[in-house]
Amino acid sequence: MPPAPSAAAGSCALSLGSRFLFGCRVTAAHRFAASPVQPPSPLHQQPHLQPCRQGRRWLRPELRGVYKPRLSPEAMKEFWRLSGIGPDHSRAKAADQQAEVPPEIKRLYQEALPPIVSQDYRDPIVESLHRAEMMRRRRVINIPEFHVGSILAVSVMDKHAPNKVNRFVGLCILRRHTGLFTTFTLRNMVDQVCVQIEYELYSPSIVSIQLLKLERRLDDNLLYLMDAPHSHCTIPFDMVPEPYSRNDPVPVNRERVRLNPPPWMCKWHLHGYQGIDLEHLYSYLSDKDVAKAIEFSKAYKRYDLLDQYLNRVPVPDADYAFKDIFIQHQELLQHQQQQQ
Amino acid sequence: VSAASAPALSSQLIVAMATAPHTWLRLVPSCRSYSKATRLHKIDYPWKDEPKPHWVRQFEARRVDADLTPENRDWLRQWRLQRVRDAVASSSEAAAAASPLKEPPAARPLWTPRVSQRCGLVGIKLGILPMWYRNGQKVHTTVVQIPDQRVLRWVPPEDLGNYASLREMRPYRLNQSLLPRWLTQQRWGLQLVGAVPADPANFTAQWCGIFKAAGLPPMRKISRFLVSPDAALQPGACLGLHHFRVGDCVDVVARTVNRGFQGVMERHLMEGGPAAHGSTKFHRKMGSAAGGGGPIYRGKRMPGVMGNRFRAARSLPVLRVNTKHRLLFIKGFTPGPPHSYCQIMDSWMLDVRRSLDANPPPMPTYFAEDAPEGGYPEDVYHPDLLPYDQPLELPD
Repeated sequence: MPPAPSAAAGSCALSLGSRFLFGCRVTAAHRFAASPVQPPSPLHQQPHLQPCRQGRRWLRPELRGVYKPRLSPEAMKEFWRLSGIGPDHSRAKAADQQAEVPPEIKRLYQEALPPIVSQDYRDPIVESLHRAEMMRRRRVINIPEFHVGSILAVSVMDKHAPNKVNRFVGLCILRRHTGLFTTFTLRNMVDQVCVQIEYELYSPSIVSIQLLKLERRLDDNLLYLMDAPHSHCTIPFDMVPEPYSRNDPVPVNRERVRLNPPPWMCKWHLHGYQGIDLEHLYSYLSDKDVAKAIEFSKAYKRYDLLDQYLNRVPVPDADYAFKDIFIQHQELLQHQQQQQ
Repeated sequence: VSAASAPALSSQLIVAMATAPHTWLRLVPSCRSYSKATRLHKIDYPWKDEPKPHWVRQFEARRVDADLTPENRDWLRQWRLQRVRDAVASSSEAAAAASPLKEPPAARPLWTPRVSQRCGLVGIKLGILPMWYRNGQKVHTTVVQIPDQRVLRWVPPEDLGNYASLREMRPYRLNQSLLPRWLTQQRWGLQLVGAVPADPANFTAQWCGIFKAAGLPPMRKISRFLVSPDAALQPGACLGLHHFRVGDCVDVVARTVNRGFQGVMERHLMEGGPAAHGSTKFHRKMGSAAGGGGPIYRGKRMPGVMGNRFRAARSLPVLRVNTKHRLLFIKGFTPGPPHSYCQIMDSWMLDVRRSLDANPPPMPTYFAEDAPEGGYPEDVYHPDLLPYDQPLELPD
């Protein structure tokens, strides 16, 4: 143990252990000295750390040294430009030279849109990888266009099933997430029991996805069918697929569902569902709840700019994604023709 | 305040400090227990969360030359960036061949079991991509991009005591009586690696001077790795994507997501209080601080900033390598938000070390002569991984 230096200049730190720093007055003069590179001296040599019992324990923000081990978007762009390993814009440029992206692309590839999260959590390379892998999977299996309200038949691999394949028919009540994380939920009645199965759209254990009826509803999700009579989601397993044309607009089923009496799984009157019979719904509610529901359903949300900003994909990003997908869609069609 | 005005060191202390640090860094008072409370450090100092070297200022505001026209300013910037590109190996193999260290050393070291520890790579975490195994099981992979990086310096184990950044007082050295083993055993040396070259106009002259000795352009990030002397690399050597092979298990060390000031329920998973049943203003509090009338003990769990700590995810296999964008697909999740730096190194876990003894990796790093005939394809998959353009075939 080296001898402790004498308490000169008020800086004797060696023998005090760690407690002395709790009363330290800290200055920043040393940091801005225009001196050549020097190794730091031990604490007892650094006069800016003066032990002081009643010293300030609050550091100024610029001294607090917030460590940001992240690259800013500008730094990332500069790094990609320098090294040439950035996102590949060739497909988007090729799409610019062609005509506008046809509307069927936006119907077929709804999950190609980037996720609605803050910019800190989005990366163009990862999003382009998601899109490329989605299109690779579509070369193996045909994924039809479907919306919430359509009826699908999905066959998955099941080693315990007699034919090693398990087929389920149901009404699509939910489509969630984007990219390779996309999932959809089918609902049906099996032996008078309600069954909901959530499938990952790009899982390789899905053998086939067959569209039986193409339809759209008035809402983004049909979760309120959980509190509706079972007749609304009873679909026969031997249903014959109905023909549809891709050029026609998707038919909208404007059916309004009458819910069962409460208690409900969720406060359906507070989510702005258009597919519920509202008069019938309000008949179950107290006056206070009805007033709240009516207040909620007032169409003031379309004037809420911040809500629109936070809950929508930026238009340039959406355009870029669809252009990227459009070129890959054309390559997919060529691949399918070659296979035939 | 400069070093010249600091109090002079006694000659005995100078001699002591020139030797190994564990002889003069024992600063622990005699009455110190080894409980968990005393092993925690809560010291604050200006350079606490700053990356090393913090004694050198990295960034400075760009000089505004009023005499230059905008066209000339842009031309100069392109000229600077082109020089950076020429100085550092780009993605093309031809540019890598221009490096003076393109040839491996005359005698490449052999992998010595239980001794060798290679240098690691600096990576940038981009995001997460789900994939599937050939048995139908889902696996999430972290996509990490390997930027341009070069070796900056080698500090042999004998010189660790004199190394600048280790001479400062770290808080755990004041609390604990035991120094980290890599400092006391001196089996491994420090390999400094610089990553992400950038426009020199962003940086101060001092920062650029650190890279000048190795003949490199300035880079944004300096990392250090603990490397055995037989795997030491010379300054300026290239570190590339193929340093790790598909199937190698790696440790990923990174700074976790900063969750801000959090209460005890979120930060330390305390129970809090009842939400109802007459609970008066006691729902998310800490409760008692113990002590029995005395002061609150050091290290008591309390609200504070959560996250923003270095953590390691151990033994994660590399499942896929993409040579176009220079990506590693590492199984599982790694700490840190997207676009954050991470250190990737051969795993320290014993079973991984034993498997590396059987199948040694390229030592000391990957060189062009290790490339297979015909080069690498764009995507190299682990044999257990199912590419998306192949159908799943489950065995009966």
